[in-house]
Amino acid sequence: MARYEADVVIIGGGITAAMVAQKLSEVRPQASVIVVEAGKRLFDFENRFEYRQRNLDYGENLWPGDFIADQNARGIISRTQAVGGSALHWGGVCNRFSEEDTRLKSMYGLAVDWPIEWADLEKHYCEAEKRLGVSGEPSPLKEDWRSEPYPMPAMTSTFNLKELKTWAEQSGIPFWTTPQAKNTVEGYGGRGKCRRCNTCEICPTGARYSPDWTFKQLLDARKIQLHDQTLIRRLVLDPATTRIAAATGAREDGGDDNVEYRARTFVLASGYTWSPHLLLASANSRFPNGLANSSDHVGRYMTGHLAFQTTIDLNLKIYPGMNEQHSLISRQFFRCRPDQPYVRHDLRVWENAGGRAPSMRDGAGKLLLGDALIADWRTRLTRGTARVRGYFDVHPDKDSRLTLDPANKNRWGDPMPVVQHKTDAATQARTAATRQHFEQLFAQLAKANDGKMGNVSGLNYQDHPAGGCRMGTDPSTSVVDSHGRTHDHENLFVVGSPTMPTGGCTNGTLTFVALALRSATEIASVR
Amino acid sequence: MRRRTLLQSIAGVFVARPLVDLQGASQASAAVPDLTTANVAALHAVGEVVLPASIGERARRDAVEKFVAWVRNYKTGADRGHGYGASTLSAPTGPSPALQYPAQFAALDAQAASQGAASFAALPLDKRRAVVETLLNTPQPVNRLPARPTGANLIADVMGFYFTGADAQNLAYNAEINRDSCRSLDGSDRAPAPLGGGRG
Repeated sequence: MARYEADVVIIGGGITAAMVAQKLSEVRPQASVIVVEAGKRLFDFENRFEYRQRNLDYGENLWPGDFIADQNARGIISRTQAVGGSALHWGGVCNRFSEEDTRLKSMYGLAVDWPIEWADLEKHYCEAEKRLGVSGEPSPLKEDWRSEPYPMPAMTSTFNLKELKTWAEQSGIPFWTTPQAKNTVEGYGGRGKCRRCNTCEICPTGARYSPDWTFKQLLDARKIQLHDQTLIRRLVLDPATTRIAAATGAREDGGDDNVEYRARTFVLASGYTWSPHLLLASANSRFPNGLANSSDHVGRYMTGHLAFQTTIDLNLKIYPGMNEQHSLISRQFFRCRPDQPYVRHDLRVWENAGGRAPSMRDGAGKLLLGDALIADWRTRLTRGTARVRGYFDVHPDKDSRLTLDPANKNRWGDPMPVVQHKTDAATQARTAATRQHFEQLFAQLAKANDGKMGNVSGLNYQDHPAGGCRMGTDPSTSVVDSHGRTHDHENLFVVGSPTMPTGGCTNGTLTFVALALRSATEIASVR
Repeated sequence: MRRRTLLQSIAGVFVARPLVDLQGASQASAAVPDLTTANVAALHAVGEVVLPASIGERARRDAVEKFVAWVRNYKTGADRGHGYGASTLSAPTGPSPALQYPAQFAALDAQAASQGAASFAALPLDKRRAVVETLLNTPQPVNRLPARPTGANLIADVMGFYFTGADAQNLAYNAEINRDSCRSLDGSDRAPAPLGGGRG
């Protein structure tokens, strides 16, 4: 048994772990910090052009080996388990939530309020944007006030986005560009400027923020220890108190329970799946339903958001591929008047090549070769296509759950998690009206430019998932307080996405990070 | 009549067949034949038929050489990771499409031999075109350009490789979009420059 001791042990090596570790190293530089990650470190930045090219050419994994085959959860949306976590593949979108997300009960009588003031969260949004390096264009809506400017100027609007903005705003809806954790100036955070590689899920220039950068910087400065390929399987309770005494686990190269970590403070930064999973898997005679689970709320209220999307064929010429992952956004629908039927959502527009592909045969079925194929193709390029999507707010039922599946175990015999989302009754009752709202909205957009709307489809999973350890002031209906400290164990924190009571109606990563940074302040204060 | 019958026979070699046999992938990998000089010559001869003449001889040859490089650099059993939105891992890459090419090259040469030529590459362009059209129309018409080579139809693979690529997109739009390249942000607020230099 290998034993390690530190002031703070962070379990998980994703984006929230990176942010907490970085902040701790600044606020409490004398504190010893160990980050423990089940997956491996992929610090071979020099190979990323090759990985990108192999993916383009052959469809190979952008991040080779970024998963653990037998950590096989069901109902999740990403298998990434590596240093950097899901944010390795991140597109870099850094939308904020809105105050409405934190006041659903007060304003609309729906779901719950968050135990945090918007001004407090806004302050941490600013901090998150600085640490991640966000380039953005401020929202023109007064409700989207900011206390600080974006750290970097907005990404250049491509010719395509400018054309699409002109079209979309003819519908009467204001649009602007989406903020992103991508460098628009050289050297921010020690990283390069965006070069429009069009593959943000692996950025070969480093312009898009990725947590491995932060970990590498912290390791180079010897501010943390990083133990990768080390799976924490159990949290162990102090026999005399409700404090967490140790975290035990196994290394890829070792046998059962061959590593133990002791710390004054434990931070669970393993995301919405593996954080509640570890708490449930750590059940003991004193906490038979799992640690931090005297409320029976661990693994409940699993949340996220759904979406409707379509493509619109437009009477304008664009050039797909100029910067496909950059988009327009409108936050006009983040607000919903309390006297109107409830629907809140973002609205995004991307360039798209849909309907503009080359074809082997013409409309009559005649084979096309060489220049004849190009000539046929050009007949479809006089118009353009926009992809349009709105993430909309849905609220979790108490039985929206992560549970342990005894039929699905890893090599150590630990039951793996299964996530089954379930929306609450009010959300379900709104389904038809929400769809109708989007169909009308997309039609309004299409009409603005002699457009033809394609089929409207919905996501079949909840995106940007969160929850499972929701925060609240009442220990009987929540798992952690607003700082992520578990109600049951004073030295155990859960940070980031699992703590969110509801999933908002836009990309969640910036909010996960802002909440984690707020937690880090509290964690740093523990002596 | 005899020629038609032979072409139909050859066409059978080009019929799509299951590509992915993961259990046999590792064995298949060891047996992947390299493309011979004659194979590469045949591919160039195919390229002269199926790729746009307007891009010029050199660009057509470059396109075929890129296809050859793609085939040679293919890795069987490579990690394909996991998609977003699902909890499953993707199956590793299957056997090389090139495993299915030798019979197709042989069929092309057999067709040439029936017309008195030493190889497919030695056939005049119009006769090569006739062979190519037959192999894309019979016994089942190929209706889609494969996004990546599959091995099912060598000619369709060459076409798909080029026409779904960034160079063909530039050609179709007559614009230096260069979607798969890393490019400066500067100037991206304007329409891409037309091919051949100069900004429109």
